[in-house]
Amino acid sequence: MSLFVDQESYFRPRTLDTLHYHHGLSERLKALAASGDFPHMLFYGPSGAGKKTRITCVLRQLFGAGVEKLKIDQRVFLSPSKRKLEINIVQSNYHIEITPSEAGSYDRLVIQELLKEIAQTQQVDLSAKQRFKVVIINEADSLSRDAQAALRRTMEKYMSNMRIILCANSTSRLIAPIKSRCLLMRVAAPNEEEMMTVLKYVAKRAGFDLPPEAGEKIVEDSNGNLRKAILILEALKMQTPDLNGPLSIAKPDWEVYCYKVADLLVSEQSPARVMEVRAKLYELLSHCIPPTIILKTVAERVVEKVDEALKADIMHWAAFYEVRMRTGSKKIYHLEAWVVKVMSLYKVLFRLLMQNPFD
Amino acid sequence: MFIATGLLSSSSLSAPQGPSNVKESPPTFASNGLLGIAGELNVDQDSSANPAISATKSTPVFTSNGLLGTTRTTRTSQDPSTSTTQADMPAPTSTSNGLLCGAQFHLTSGDAGPLILGLSSTSAEVSESFISNGLLSNAPSDERTPTSHSLFSPDSTQDFDDLPSVSDAFGIKPIIPQRSSATTISVPRSNVRATTFDGKTIYLRRKPKIISPSTNASTTAQKIGNLLDVPIHRLMDQLSSVTAANLQRMDQISIPGSSNAQSTSTSTVVEDMLWVDRYRPRKFTDLLGNERVARDAMTWVKQWDYCVFGISKGKKRARDSDENIDLQDELRRPMEKILLLSGPPGLGKTTLAHVVARQAGYEVMEINASDARSGSIVDDRIRPALESGYAVGSTKPVLLVIDEIDGATGAGDNTNTFVHKLVQLIQTRSRKRERTARGRDTQNKRTIRRPIICICNDHNASSLAKLRPHAYQIRFHRPADIHLVKRLKEICVIEDLKADSRALSTLVSAAKGDLRGCLNALQFVKTRDEDVTEGVIRKATSGMKEEDSSVQSVLNNLFTPLSKKRVKELGLTDDEEARYVARLSREIDNSGRESTIATGCFGHYATLRRHDANLSRQEQAMEWLSTYDRFTHAMFSDGDFSLNQYLPYTLVPFYPLFQEKGGERVERNQTDWEHLQVTRSNEEIFKTLSRCLRSTAVRYSGDFRHLLNAPILQIEFAPYLNRIVSPPLRPVNSQVIRAQEKALMSRLVDIMSTLELRFVQEKAEDGQLTYRLDPPIDVFITYDGKRASDIAVSRYAVRKIVSAEIDAVLIARDTGVVEKGKRGKHDFFGKSSRTDTLDDASGSAKKRAKTVDTRDIADMPPTDFFGRPITVASASTTKAAVRKNVEKKYRVAYRFLEGNSAAVRKPVKVNMFI
Repeated sequence: MSLFVDQESYFRPRTLDTLHYHHGLSERLKALAASGDFPHMLFYGPSGAGKKTRITCVLRQLFGAGVEKLKIDQRVFLSPSKRKLEINIVQSNYHIEITPSEAGSYDRLVIQELLKEIAQTQQVDLSAKQRFKVVIINEADSLSRDAQAALRRTMEKYMSNMRIILCANSTSRLIAPIKSRCLLMRVAAPNEEEMMTVLKYVAKRAGFDLPPEAGEKIVEDSNGNLRKAILILEALKMQTPDLNGPLSIAKPDWEVYCYKVADLLVSEQSPARVMEVRAKLYELLSHCIPPTIILKTVAERVVEKVDEALKADIMHWAAFYEVRMRTGSKKIYHLEAWVVKVMSLYKVLFRLLMQNPFD
Repeated sequence: MFIATGLLSSSSLSAPQGPSNVKESPPTFASNGLLGIAGELNVDQDSSANPAISATKSTPVFTSNGLLGTTRTTRTSQDPSTSTTQADMPAPTSTSNGLLCGAQFHLTSGDAGPLILGLSSTSAEVSESFISNGLLSNAPSDERTPTSHSLFSPDSTQDFDDLPSVSDAFGIKPIIPQRSSATTISVPRSNVRATTFDGKTIYLRRKPKIISPSTNASTTAQKIGNLLDVPIHRLMDQLSSVTAANLQRMDQISIPGSSNAQSTSTSTVVEDMLWVDRYRPRKFTDLLGNERVARDAMTWVKQWDYCVFGISKGKKRARDSDENIDLQDELRRPMEKILLLSGPPGLGKTTLAHVVARQAGYEVMEINASDARSGSIVDDRIRPALESGYAVGSTKPVLLVIDEIDGATGAGDNTNTFVHKLVQLIQTRSRKRERTARGRDTQNKRTIRRPIICICNDHNASSLAKLRPHAYQIRFHRPADIHLVKRLKEICVIEDLKADSRALSTLVSAAKGDLRGCLNALQFVKTRDEDVTEGVIRKATSGMKEEDSSVQSVLNNLFTPLSKKRVKELGLTDDEEARYVARLSREIDNSGRESTIATGCFGHYATLRRHDANLSRQEQAMEWLSTYDRFTHAMFSDGDFSLNQYLPYTLVPFYPLFQEKGGERVERNQTDWEHLQVTRSNEEIFKTLSRCLRSTAVRYSGDFRHLLNAPILQIEFAPYLNRIVSPPLRPVNSQVIRAQEKALMSRLVDIMSTLELRFVQEKAEDGQLTYRLDPPIDVFITYDGKRASDIAVSRYAVRKIVSAEIDAVLIARDTGVVEKGKRGKHDFFGKSSRTDTLDDASGSAKKRAKTVDTRDIADMPPTDFFGRPITVASASTTKAAVRKNVEKKYRVAYRFLEGNSAAVRKPVKVNMFI
């Protein structure tokens, strides 16, 4: 017995039939797997919606229980500058799962070498259900342009030996040629009832009853992220074992801290406050929270609190500086640039209001 | 006769008196021949005429005469013998000719005493005539003539009487040459008669010869070249060294600035020379600047005297240096085998090294940046030079100067770098005795016996880290401006350059004491025929480094306007002062550390202009900073380094935005650096956590692998995991614990052991024992040094219990793995170890009891290798029973547990194995 959230054999559904929601999608996947003409696929959808679970189920449908015999190892790739890149690879006899973004800017190299290697070897096992192997590429939306371009040709050329399943949060960062080569599968976040059923199932498997009010609270708090919901459930179960009485669901600490930043921003606008905010941003960054997420969380919180007239502007600038952040390397500069921008906007608006208060 | 033939060829140019000699006495020809050389040299008719006269007298004269002819070029050591032959001479007149030529050479070498004696003894008159001829132009000969004259005066008078009569008899008029001019003389055509070994007479046709009278000593030296026992190039060297010495003397006279006329004459001769080279100090006393530095260097070099020259200088010095000399060293070398001179450019480090080396009697071997700097050069060039101790073709010991050593390879741990090799070279001690005792190769590695001087600009360069402990370090500092100005003024006077001392001191301050830069600037001014005024100097030094561009000073300049004093120093007008972009961007560029400056700007700007109404300045500043950042990112990620030249301009705008008179100085801001450190350590913790998860995933065939991805781990998993692993537990004995709590505890232990989290006992600073979570994932719920409020800190006692339980589970798991292997034969139907480990500690205790319960191996029925009971005697056992037994066994034996292999799997019947 282990964490509720991720134990394949116990809590996580293993076949398409046992999935708890999106039954229509499951049916379609089943039909595809049975048809023998399985295409390249791109699963996309928000975090915690069950993309990977579904992919695992599809694989099982394709190849049978043999897919669950997994081997995890590390492969070392040599970059052109002779740097060693260690990539973790999960594989069974029938599929291989990689996360090329681990290699950073050298992901093209990993894609090229690994895919060629797989594509050029045929399935050895004569009794295998399918003639092809499956390559699962996680975090496909963080693939670099080069890597995506490297995928294009490979996807067509080695179609007989290999299918690719991409898994991404959004399709916006994938180039069009890749999208057109794949069958797009959107895995939407579960709605509240679906989440409730899942939580209840988990609770039952773990051997306790989930009080409905607790379940509702968890669902409300987890924002459609099932993984988060199950983690919260487990945390709650550990903190207050009977799950009765007033429940306080803790937000992740970094989120709380981001709210603090937002409050600081709204309450005062001055260079001194900029320095305070900067210290907090440094603290967040040093806890390895991705800067884009910091910006997003803080911006959302600020928008909640400010005047209607400012909301659009603030979000606009947040988006603007997020782009800059991606084209730059010192994240703190851009975060602070946004902070200063927001303060300045706030001040300008405030002054306008002061000048003609009855406008 | 033999000698005669041998020298006939060379004497072909000798005087026409040859025939007359043979007529008188054949054997004399040899000497005559020898004398012929002399005749050739003297290019005068009477030099050949005189031998003829002597030939009539007697044979020995000629031998001596011949000897004299050859000895002209020989060195001092042969002089005594020449003088003895002179003593026997019955006919000195002819000798005088040869001697005269000889004397000329010996005078150049400065040691011709005996020969001149001979010369003077023969005839004063002839010698007189030759002096007029210009061959004996040197003063010493004149000086010595009288003294020698007195010695041999009786002879000389006698000879003097003989001379005219003999010449008359042969009808040859001794021509006393007065031709000092450069007219050419053609020798009259005639046959030369020679006698071979068997007495045959041969007539040789003479070629008409155009002979130019020798006016220069050097041309004479060239002509005799092939018959001299001192090679011609030696003579040439000698000659050039003499001229060099003369030039140097001239220079040294001119440097103090005695006469204008003299200096202008020098300058016209060598105008193509850089002033830096011309006024380079050549003597120790010429050195400018800190005298102590020069003395230190000299002292260090002198400490090698015992090792190199085998002598120790005066007592006082020996006592001084004794402190520093390595007492263990039989060569008495100094403790540090390397001298490291460091300092800013243009202060004369290289010059000092060269001057000191020359002064101490060494030959300098220089290796500088123009040579290869790989480690191999140490083995290829330096070691041989230092071991032999002498440069090729030199008699002076060698001293190695390694210039610009900070540019050499040497950083890092690589053992093949230049500096590393150099250090190795120094450290090899002489183990000659041991090695010969063992019969090993002694040539292999020898200790160095010659000093090494290294020169660098930055003594803190990382490549020098290994060298520093072995080097005696001398640092150069900028000499006082007043000395520099004085020296510049002297030079200006010599160069006929009008310069006021104010302009010169401006120059010196602009150049930051770089004398080389000053001289170059002055020469530049001179080429434009301008006077040295302040304005001209400003123009000439505009490209010179104006500012010590450390990051700190650049930042200060960015945020504060120029001080009045500095403006004056740079001689800027108001207008120029207002033009800040070029000035600041150059400063930033010069510092070469844009990123540090950017961070500094970022750290400082928010403390300024705090009363700006709507933060527009800050906004603009951030705009520039983010532009800067995007530039650098593009530069480094795409390798587009042409953007580099624009980088400084993105930082300049901080000046108009934030400059403030009297603003606080920019402090070095460490926030960014600290942040980086914390981030690194936290990343490390994340890596550890993900490693834990990965190993769990390996063990449980792929579980948890979905949590590994970067953002999920930090954002979702880490915060909740912290809550999961810290339930509210009371520290009570496990026997009296409530059922609910017990379940909680067992679950906690289970999760933690699965994820390989652990409590590690530690001693805090105050000596209290604590249990720390390892890996310390609780940092992720700790912001601003405070833990999240909703998570209770579990107490020491609880952690202790939990830790003990986890250990028990882990041990059980390990033994479970071992037992699983053991049990294979006997406990086919036992629970798999997996289920055991999933139980808590009490479960493991139960399991232990069960293993004890299994029957002892001795009680078991005997089985063969495959676990089948051996049924040798017991025929009573039914076949069916056996079959059943077998079936049961194999059903489980092939259970596939986890992982997979590369083997091809294919259904196989059990029968095939039996």
